[in-house]
Amino acid sequence: MKLSTALRGKKLGAVVTVMIVIILLPFGFSVASLAIPGGDQMPDVFLEMPAAQFDSCVRDTEYMRFRHMDLLKQIREEFIRDGIRGNVSLTGCRDCHTSRERFCDQCHQAATVILDCFGCHYYPEPGEDSRQLGS
Amino acid sequence: MGTMDRRDFLKKSGAVLAGTSGALSLPLLTACDANTASADSPLAGRKWGMVIDLSKCQDDCTACLDACRHENNVAFHNDKRWDIHWIRKVNIKSKESEEHAEKSVILLCNHCENPPCAQVCPVQATYKRADGIVVVDHHRCIGCRYCMVACPYNARFFNYKETEEWPNTDFPKRSHGVAESCNFCAHLLDQGRMPACVEACDAMEIRALHFGDLNDPGSEVSQIIETTPVKRIRDDWGTEPKVYYLGL
Repeated sequence: MKLSTALRGKKLGAVVTVMIVIILLPFGFSVASLAIPGGDQMPDVFLEMPAAQFDSCVRDTEYMRFRHMDLLKQIREEFIRDGIRGNVSLTGCRDCHTSRERFCDQCHQAATVILDCFGCHYYPEPGEDSRQLGS
Repeated sequence: MGTMDRRDFLKKSGAVLAGTSGALSLPLLTACDANTASADSPLAGRKWGMVIDLSKCQDDCTACLDACRHENNVAFHNDKRWDIHWIRKVNIKSKESEEHAEKSVILLCNHCENPPCAQVCPVQATYKRADGIVVVDHHRCIGCRYCMVACPYNARFFNYKETEEWPNTDFPKRSHGVAESCNFCAHLLDQGRMPACVEACDAMEIRALHFGDLNDPGSEVSQIIETTPVKRIRDDWGTEPKVYYLGL
């Protein structure tokens, strides 16, 4: 294959180098953040302490932090498809975690994961009564 | 190897082709029932159905429509391009009978036993629950509107716009870009209550809407269907609706 006259010799080398640098930039950032003390920590966003209604959450803290979306999807399928209403529900979360701002939004913003539960499901404002049954 | 003339070759290859295409189309035929929930769900056994007594229904009453709109947060923008109706009233004219020259009829999702909407749904968002209710899983709906085309009763509506109003916070709204229709208030049935329209009609002491289990021969709806000449809309289509009409 014949290279175009615009990309030959030194010019080609420069372009390839720039491309490689751009591709490796994100990896470089994450390596660099490890070197900074505390850089590899998740941002301190787990601020919402539940109201002391129950002894523990439905799963342990580590699972709920990193895998809660799997649990939510699972109960959603079970409930909508087969009508199985277990003891876990999105409504149940807000019984203890009253502030959506601190319980959901902060971490989701830090992780840049767009959360679209609450366009349709209601999350009561702090102080508002959350009901036992519902969506 | 014996010789085969042109005629025999065509016959045999035709038979082979017919056989393979028949075998390949079998999954397509069985797929018609694919969007039905599994039979071992706790909902199985029941078959919810409704009987609408149009002789009792009053033309100027909108109690069921209002109750439905409130209970299910059904969007109303006061613009017919975007309004959504899970249950609605239309005026029909009869060519044959002079007695009922013009009649107001309640229309809602018929919860067909063979729902065309569920059969065409490409993502299985619309499906038939084990108790016969046809529901939309709005999490899965991609808004292709194929179900709206498939539904012969025009019971499906599309959310072109989200509504700001949220009268019943116990029940979710629908976001922009999903299709929706009546779900027989499945969330109320699961709590042991009746659908909002039926409760509203009973509260008005009109009792034009009857609701119950079609599988139970002793239920009110089964009795009515057994003893009186009920009609379903376009019974000849084979969709097997579960909404019956008295005095249509």
